[in-house]
Amino acid sequence: MYDAVVIGGRCAGAAVGTHLARQGRRVLVVDRSRFPSDVLSTHFIWPHGASHLNRLGVLDQVRAVTPAHTEVTIVNDGIALRGSVPEELLRNQFRLLHGDDHGITTEYFSVRRHVLDKILIDNAVEAGVEFREGYTVKELLRDDDGTVVGIEGRDGTVEHARVVVGADGRNSFVARALGIGKSDERPRCTFAYWSYFSGIPDAPAQIHRRGRLGMAMASTNHGRTMVLAWGPSEWAAGFRADVEGNFHRALGLISEEAAGTVAAATREERFYGTLDQAAYLRQLHGPGWVLVGDAESFKDQCTALGITHALRDAELAAAAIGRWLGGESDRDTAMAGYAAKRRSQTAAAYYDYVCTLAEMKPLRHDELQLFSTLRGNQAETDRFIATHVDVAPVSEFFDPSNVFLLNDTARESSRDHGVFADFEATYRDHHRNPFQRAEAEGTR
Amino acid sequence: MTRTAAHEREDGEVVAAVIAAADTAATDPLAAAKAVAAAAREVSDMMRNWASHIPWEDLDGLDTLPAEEAARFFDEDYPAIRADLEPMWEPATAAAPAIDPDEDHALDKNAYDFFRPVGANLLGRTEEFHGWVEARRRTETWQYSRVLEAAPSGVATITNDLSKPARGINFNSQDYLSFNAHPEIREAAVRAMRDFGPHSAGSPMVLGNTRISDELEAALGALVGLEHVTLFSNGWSAGFGTVTGLVRQEDHILIDRLAHSCLQSGARAATRNITRYTHLDVEAVRTHLARIRATDSRNGIMVITDGLFSVDADWPDVAALQEVCRAHDATLLVDVAHDLGSMGPGGTGVLGIQDMVGEVDLVMGAFSKTFASNGGFVAARSPAVKQYVKMFAGPHFFSNALSPVQTAVVLKAAEIIRTDEGDALRGRLFSAIHALRDELTTRGLTCMGSPSPIVPVLIGNEKLARTVNRLLFDRGVLAFMVEFPVTPTGASRFRLQVQAAHEPEQAREAARIIDGALRDAKEYLSSAFGNSF
Repeated sequence: MYDAVVIGGRCAGAAVGTHLARQGRRVLVVDRSRFPSDVLSTHFIWPHGASHLNRLGVLDQVRAVTPAHTEVTIVNDGIALRGSVPEELLRNQFRLLHGDDHGITTEYFSVRRHVLDKILIDNAVEAGVEFREGYTVKELLRDDDGTVVGIEGRDGTVEHARVVVGADGRNSFVARALGIGKSDERPRCTFAYWSYFSGIPDAPAQIHRRGRLGMAMASTNHGRTMVLAWGPSEWAAGFRADVEGNFHRALGLISEEAAGTVAAATREERFYGTLDQAAYLRQLHGPGWVLVGDAESFKDQCTALGITHALRDAELAAAAIGRWLGGESDRDTAMAGYAAKRRSQTAAAYYDYVCTLAEMKPLRHDELQLFSTLRGNQAETDRFIATHVDVAPVSEFFDPSNVFLLNDTARESSRDHGVFADFEATYRDHHRNPFQRAEAEGTR
Repeated sequence: MTRTAAHEREDGEVVAAVIAAADTAATDPLAAAKAVAAAAREVSDMMRNWASHIPWEDLDGLDTLPAEEAARFFDEDYPAIRADLEPMWEPATAAAPAIDPDEDHALDKNAYDFFRPVGANLLGRTEEFHGWVEARRRTETWQYSRVLEAAPSGVATITNDLSKPARGINFNSQDYLSFNAHPEIREAAVRAMRDFGPHSAGSPMVLGNTRISDELEAALGALVGLEHVTLFSNGWSAGFGTVTGLVRQEDHILIDRLAHSCLQSGARAATRNITRYTHLDVEAVRTHLARIRATDSRNGIMVITDGLFSVDADWPDVAALQEVCRAHDATLLVDVAHDLGSMGPGGTGVLGIQDMVGEVDLVMGAFSKTFASNGGFVAARSPAVKQYVKMFAGPHFFSNALSPVQTAVVLKAAEIIRTDEGDALRGRLFSAIHALRDELTTRGLTCMGSPSPIVPVLIGNEKLARTVNRLLFDRGVLAFMVEFPVTPTGASRFRLQVQAAHEPEQAREAARIIDGALRDAKEYLSSAFGNSF
């Protein structure tokens, strides 16, 4: 009899297992695949994610093989903002969510999953977790009143546990087996294609938006740079007709400079892609089970927070399970505490923020004017970046007293930004799909 | 295998090949099995481990099956697998339900999205905002521009801007002690009308004031314990005028980030040296004051806060703020618009609750919440401050004075507030407040702040708040939904303003109706988010 069986041994699963094992719980983690191995992911980790890795004790290991930076460049229709997530806001966030702020780092990085997931699961085993890889769960065991009490593997093994944790991703077996539906679904999302290039020097990450397209460049493991392009789901069918051609075409439309850098580099792997980034929530917990990571809630890749949020979930869920197993509170109260943090109105506001961004509507005049206003105001630029990546609440940056003050105290004018020269025409152009067959032929 | 080679096909293409091959199974299952297996083995490790619901191993091994087993696989097992493969290949929006463009537009965006419109024509560029307002009106999610059909009391009859009528328990009016219907208040108005006429006919600096203006200044001075009072023709002007009247460009302002709009606007008009501090955070004020005074001892610092915050229903530690201001040679301004008269011993508001009557540098307020009239004031300890504000607060000098009727009404209200009757009215008011908060809280809703005439019910998300607003209109509760620019984005709420005329049972009934509307709105939006921050 285990205290917990965790299904899925990657970011959310390995982390929740580690936290529980460190509480002295008897934990079994199982995963279908064998490690090290890859999984579809844009594998970016923001400073709060890096801080979670630090709290798990693996940051140094990850950093030893992964380039890291603190400053990031975000360019919207040519208006560049450069900044970093402020330590103070990170500390506030951790104190609010987890009750303490140890292990904070302001670094971010992009780490391949075959690197990260192996480090995380080895760390879990070292913490006392029992791990079975290549293990497929055939069914969840339930008692007469429906409470989940364990698992049965495809190999016929049966394991009992006081709680089963579903850390098995977007296509969660646990959610399917329990018939848990989705809510707050947002099918208007992005498609994304990416690959890995050599020949681009290590540099801080760049994130660009222009019109309805986006791209990101981030240094990752093995001396390679990940280059990612994305756009609105409505344009995906046209794009995938010629992934390589349209990938470079998209980069060219977004930033000639970035496109030039990538054109001079060598692609070292195949293209990877994802067309289904639709956001959703699932019920978080029930009798004998709890979900963490993508299994409980998924958001578009456009703010690159999947891993960071999975690690956060893992810590919150482990703390809740610990309160229950440790007798501090009954099961329902403990799990409701986890749910309250994950389903708060602050979380709702961020969910809305990402889902709206994921529609990839061309940036409006007001939005671009705000970015122009932020230039020269480093403290508020940093706070905007912290808000963009869910370190600071949306309601603190987008507070009327703040945005009107930003407007009235702007240090730079918008005169020098080309996008404002003939904004209405540019904005209209941005609605046209450049990947439609006829048009793609024309610009080839 | 953890990394792939550049020449390999992208997974989407491979999955499409799997689907296409499987579709030929009816004619030749063996050939289909062979092609499916070959394509499946091309799928990257990344995709296999992500799409863990697809039985990749079964697909990989299809070409080892005899013909009849392959045929059985395609007949029995494959349809479910195809249903899972399809979304990996089809763009997500292909499966999206149709959207009502009006509803979509109305529930999206907030007013700030239209603050910096494009174009050189100041009038033409208002059209985009208007289009949004029209979408909100058509979908009945526009909470503004409602009109009363009769005097508002605990119950009111109103019409929205589509001429749609509604009657309900009224939490949409600010008249905390229900003075609008008080016979003595009405009598005072009639008497002033008879004695002075409807018009004040001038700036208070010229000949706009009457004898009763002086009486009113004295009465207000007694209520807040600061003798030298200046009247303004509305509350917004009192805040804006006080700040801009006293603060100059090189001075500094520390302002609670949630302080009222008139104070924020005044601050921005007065100086660029503005620091918004964390709501109610005295320690933050101390830190900022020390930072400013470390380099600037020549210029002034004004610290600005509300007493009772008008959309959060909480209040600061005024004593601590005043003390830290004194220690750094800064001036404290407290806006008591919502609490003066309606709460505290003898109606002295938040200052009275904290034993700070007469102890604060500057106190300003508005009459429109409790005193049954337009208008506002600022009170100071010295005549010099009074004379200076009168001269340099533009809205005082250059606006017509409060009308005689308004002045008489406020004067009578200020008198009643200090009597036993005032205490009794506040008692009734708080019975309704407690009934409302208790019922809302019992039902799992979040009432922000502390018991006060403002009961904010947190909704948060704007889509949800606008949908509740639409449902509530027809259900017998009149409540004002506040969103940006009253609250920050993602922090919308219903601001219920309670009156002495409300019966506790009315308050409980309203709470039940609000709860029902919120549940229905959540179901409509299929939303699983909760109701607390």
